[in-house]
Parts: sequence; structure tokens; C-alpha cells
Amino acid sequence: MSAASTVWQRNPVLAWREITGSAVIISPAESVMHELNGTGSVVWRMLDGQTTVEQIAARLCTEFDVSEETALQDTSSLLEELAALKLILPAQAAGGAKGATAP
Amino acid sequence: MLRNLRRPLELSIGTARLQISFSQEELYRRALIRYQGFETSDDPGFFIRLLDSHEVSAPSDFHYEWEGASLRCGDREAVFSGVRHEYALDSLLRVFLSWTLLPKPGFLLHAATIVRNGRAFVFAGRSGAGKSTLAALAPAGAVMTDEISLLCAEGGEWRAYSTPFWGEFRAAGKHRHAPLAGIFQLVQAPQNRAERISAAEAVRMLLPNVLFFSKEPEANRRLLQTVSAAVEGVACHRFEFRRDASLWEALPA
Repeated sequence: MSAASTVWQRNPVLAWREITGSAVIISPAESVMHELNGTGSVVWRMLDGQTTVEQIAARLCTEFDVSEETALQDTSSLLEELAALKLILPAQAAGGAKGATAP
Repeated sequence: MLRNLRRPLELSIGTARLQISFSQEELYRRALIRYQGFETSDDPGFFIRLLDSHEVSAPSDFHYEWEGASLRCGDREAVFSGVRHEYALDSLLRVFLSWTLLPKPGFLLHAATIVRNGRAFVFAGRSGAGKSTLAALAPAGAVMTDEISLLCAEGGEWRAYSTPFWGEFRAAGKHRHAPLAGIFQLVQAPQNRAERISAAEAVRMLLPNVLFFSKEPEANRRLLQTVSAAVEGVACHRFEFRRDASLWEALPA
């Protein structure tokens, strides 16, 4: 499976909420708060355990008027960062369960 | 010696009516002093038992441990075990309140609250932000609390309540409350200025100041929901202030 066809999902142990376009995420175990900007929040919303990185990048192309290459690079870079923080998991590793849902 | 222990301490903190039963005379005596302004004769809604040792059958909807002491609470009752001094009792009471407030919705906040014209101005910030300074500059009788405020929504209106958790472990204050005028993030500066902030900024400002102890994802989701509701229902500001009495002039009416 190529990186572009990888599917990620939000870590189900997180609490998160979208507030005026920004995703605010709490990691309860560490009591740490994270916040994503507008673009990051669009990506975050799509991390549903079903949408591929390629599909997320395609959405960014249409919403933010950027090239496919740039969108894919930015998305991959953000996902790497989120994965390092354990805010997202590869969908397969979580047994295909749905990610955390906003209340 | 056991005479006083037969009468539990009954307190009113925020919207909670607590009945606390003690097992140690000295701790009971200290608690009477510490929480004197919050005694009530209202019917209790929560029953807290202090035990010397841990009880296996204690309710356990929520469990928390702090320096050898522990709390287990259920729907209307809680057991505090291994509480050796008033600092531990204070800590477990704060944890207990933060848990019971969540469904109201409500929460405890590191904040000083000052009452002006019958409305509560809540100034949030951790140690060193200026809460004590601001409280010292407030007119006599206007300080609701100088360290930890309790915010709770009732009938769609957010109100601030005093708490007995004053800075430097002083026994001060009494049970009182007022509708919220606004929440202000304290920023010491050479000038006074109150600037309205967005809901997202307000959540970012408030969350690190909220007292919350559960690591349960669902409880944290509810906390986020509660804080979001608060910032949508109450005006939030960044408040730059000078350390003198002129700061009051910069507050919105």
C-alpha cells in the first residue's frame, strides 16, 4: 500500500471539538491540548478511517486552490506530525473501528 | 471527644449541598475553621464519608488518588480514604466537585472573581498571573474568591460561585454567587485594556486553567463541550492590566 492510499483515523481515546472552524483536541492521558488551523481542521474532519490520504489531498486542492503535489505533501506532512503525537492511528491498526467523534 | 464527630459538616459549595462525615477529631476541627463560611442547613444532595482506611465496597463511578489519599464516588455518595490533613481534604473536595459539576454543566477554574454592580467578573490565570494582586486592589467586600472560582449554568444563565479554596490556604469567603459579566484572561502590562476574544481563543485560554482530573475520554469530551458552552454564553476578554486601582476603569460596564 502506498503512502497516498493509506487510511488514517482519529485516535478514539481523544476528546475533540470544532470551535469556529478550528479543531481543538484534548489528549486525556497526557492532559495536553492541541489546536489545528483551518486547513488542518479540514484534514482532521476527514480522518474517519475510510478516506485515503490521496482523497484528503484532492479535497484540499478544491477548497484551497493548491496544486495536487503541494496538497499531497502538506497532507502527508501534517499526518506524520499527528501520528507522531498519537492523535491518529492507521485504520487497520485500530481494527477498522471509527475514530473519535465530535460531541 | 467524639461529641463533635457525631454531627457531620454540611456545606454549600456552588450548587452542591455536601454532608461530610469525619473519622478524625483534629481534621474535623480544622475543616470547621477552613469551611466556616460555607456551612448550610439545607438538605444534603451528596454524602461524603471520610475513612481512615480504604473500603473495598466504596462506590466507584469515578476514582482518584492523591498522595496516599483516595476518592471513590458514585451517584450521590463518595468515600474519601486515607485523608491525613486538611490539604488532602481540600484537594479531594476539588476533584469531587469537578466531577459532580460536569453534568450541570459547570467547572472549577483557576480564577479570582470580583463582584461589581451585582455581576461577577472572573479573572483567569495560573499562579503568578495576578489573581491575588487584583483581589488586593478590589474594593472591600467585592472579592468572591481569589484563587478558584466555580462556574455553573443554571436555566441557561452562567453564574460564578465562591469557593472555600482561597490562596495560601486562608479560611476566607462565604457562599455567594452572581451572574457572570465576563471572563478575563489576566495579562500584566504597562496599560489597561480589555479586548474581546473569539470562542476558539477563549477555549484555548480557559482549558489550561480548568481544574479537571479525569483521564476518561468521555469525561474529557463533556469537559470540552462544557467549556465551549461557557465561552459561547459568556463574553471572554484578554485583559491587560496595570498593578494599580486604575485597572477597574478598563473593564466593560
